[in-house]
Amino acid sequence: MGSKSGASFGSFSYFGDQDLPSVNTIKPITTEFSRGSVPNSIARMDRESAWTRWRRGYEMAVSVGIQHPFTYPFEYRVPFPAGTPPSGGNQPLIMGVVQGFPTSKKEFGMHWVGCRIGGNLRFDNITDSTGTPASIASVTEDDEYWYVQLSGTWSSVHPLPPPLYVPNPSGSPLKPLLGETLEDKIITPGGIPVTKNTINPATDKRYGYVQAVLIDVDGENGILKLKKSGSFQATPDNVYLTPSSGSFTTGRYFTVGTRYACTCQDFTRRSYAFTMNLEQKEIRRFPYTRPSLLKYGRHELITNSNTGTINNQAMTDPNQNRNLDLTLASIDNPGVFSDFGGRYLRNVPAIEGAEGPSTFVDYTAKNNEITSYSDYWSPLLDEMRYCKHIYSLRFEEGILPPEPSDLPVGTTDSLTDWEQNLTKESSISKQHIATANTIRGVALMDVPPRNFQSPQVLPMMQKLLNVPASFIRLENFRMQDKTGAFYDPSAYESPAT
Amino acid sequence: MANFGDVIETRYNLSEQQLAASKFGFSPVYFDGSPTVYSPGDVVHLPYVSGETSSMKALGNAWAAYASGVTPA
Repeated sequence: MGSKSGASFGSFSYFGDQDLPSVNTIKPITTEFSRGSVPNSIARMDRESAWTRWRRGYEMAVSVGIQHPFTYPFEYRVPFPAGTPPSGGNQPLIMGVVQGFPTSKKEFGMHWVGCRIGGNLRFDNITDSTGTPASIASVTEDDEYWYVQLSGTWSSVHPLPPPLYVPNPSGSPLKPLLGETLEDKIITPGGIPVTKNTINPATDKRYGYVQAVLIDVDGENGILKLKKSGSFQATPDNVYLTPSSGSFTTGRYFTVGTRYACTCQDFTRRSYAFTMNLEQKEIRRFPYTRPSLLKYGRHELITNSNTGTINNQAMTDPNQNRNLDLTLASIDNPGVFSDFGGRYLRNVPAIEGAEGPSTFVDYTAKNNEITSYSDYWSPLLDEMRYCKHIYSLRFEEGILPPEPSDLPVGTTDSLTDWEQNLTKESSISKQHIATANTIRGVALMDVPPRNFQSPQVLPMMQKLLNVPASFIRLENFRMQDKTGAFYDPSAYESPAT
Repeated sequence: MANFGDVIETRYNLSEQQLAASKFGFSPVYFDGSPTVYSPGDVVHLPYVSGETSSMKALGNAWAAYASGVTPA
């Protein structure tokens, strides 16, 4: 056989030349598998940090808190099921506010964040079979939870009434109020809820109250389980303590606290396609989802309740109701939504105390030598977060939310420089929004309550009002104008001019 | 004394200057007193009396109906 002259096949020296790179040109991997242009893990972690949302929320609160240009207060008249007529004089109401935040990241240029204000649901309206109202009878506790026994006689025949415990003919009972915040603010049945300022005339001291998240309901025994972690206490000194140092006051009645929900991608953990060109750039947009990002998730269809046809309009006539049909065990809606993936809740013992910024005191030293070293990092990175819009409302509320501990790291500048850059960027984007997007937004945006059944807003309203989606009916909303008067959009009434 | 539906805790007690500045355009707005405008963080006073369908009861009815496959009237 002749030699393989001139050919590289079988030439080991050739392979060697190609496969052994020069050590000097080796670079660390700066991208993540399948993530394309996302630069590196640290930058991504900084961007995702709760601290960044907290900080930007403050900037936004300062900018929108003065003027409230897109604030829509509403009164929601809870619909009655077929065959259950209302009784008595006062309508069952839920009061709330929907606030718009101009953005270039969503169709029609507006993120809508909802706030259901506190005090809407009262436990003095819950009674057992003999008519005894459900006050706080006794409280027991362990390191993690409070267990509240409600007054009344409860059994498997007469369990706690809905919505605390809803018998379900087709499965296990529903407990819709899990995740609500409860506050022991009602002293007497029918009484005015106390605030952190209310003074007890008998003692000349403030009443104070405690707020905690409802974790579970034992309907047959009338017991509520509330989580100590994340609780807070309005003390007689008129300050908030978190977590609460005490438990609930027996004899009082619970009421629910403020509740938030938002339509933004961050809060919903879903990306969605939008084709509107708010930036006025010559960019062609077409909705698509990478096949690699499709996963099992939620696939919803909004349909016209009269015709059954799909209706994904951003707004409809306030007399046109639509239905939400969920398809479970399906992939995301390709081209419309893609799921960001899961999120984690922190579940550390409350006894460890409130979390603030790291103090970096994680070592002991003697004679200038480290003698012990421990890692005090706690997994706050994985805690479910508010988005910056909800943080903004929290700041407006006058409650300074605790500063998250996941301070951005790995920046090339100092944290101070980083923060100042953030402030500067926020300022520039605010100016940009105030000019281009707000002017365009006012002309283009979707408007409450006509958008309450759109694909983006209906899931948000369901979470906010905590009713089944089919019970969100446009004709049940009364909007409040700037004079304080309510008007009925479904009757084609208008706000005061 | 708070009445039904009153806001009893709010961050926003609007001043006369703020109310005056709230008008858009040149349309005059007439109103008496300080309008109640619900804002983030408010607390509302909704004491339902015996015989009335409270918000809590109505929410319970809605969920019970949903569990049984009943739709709104």
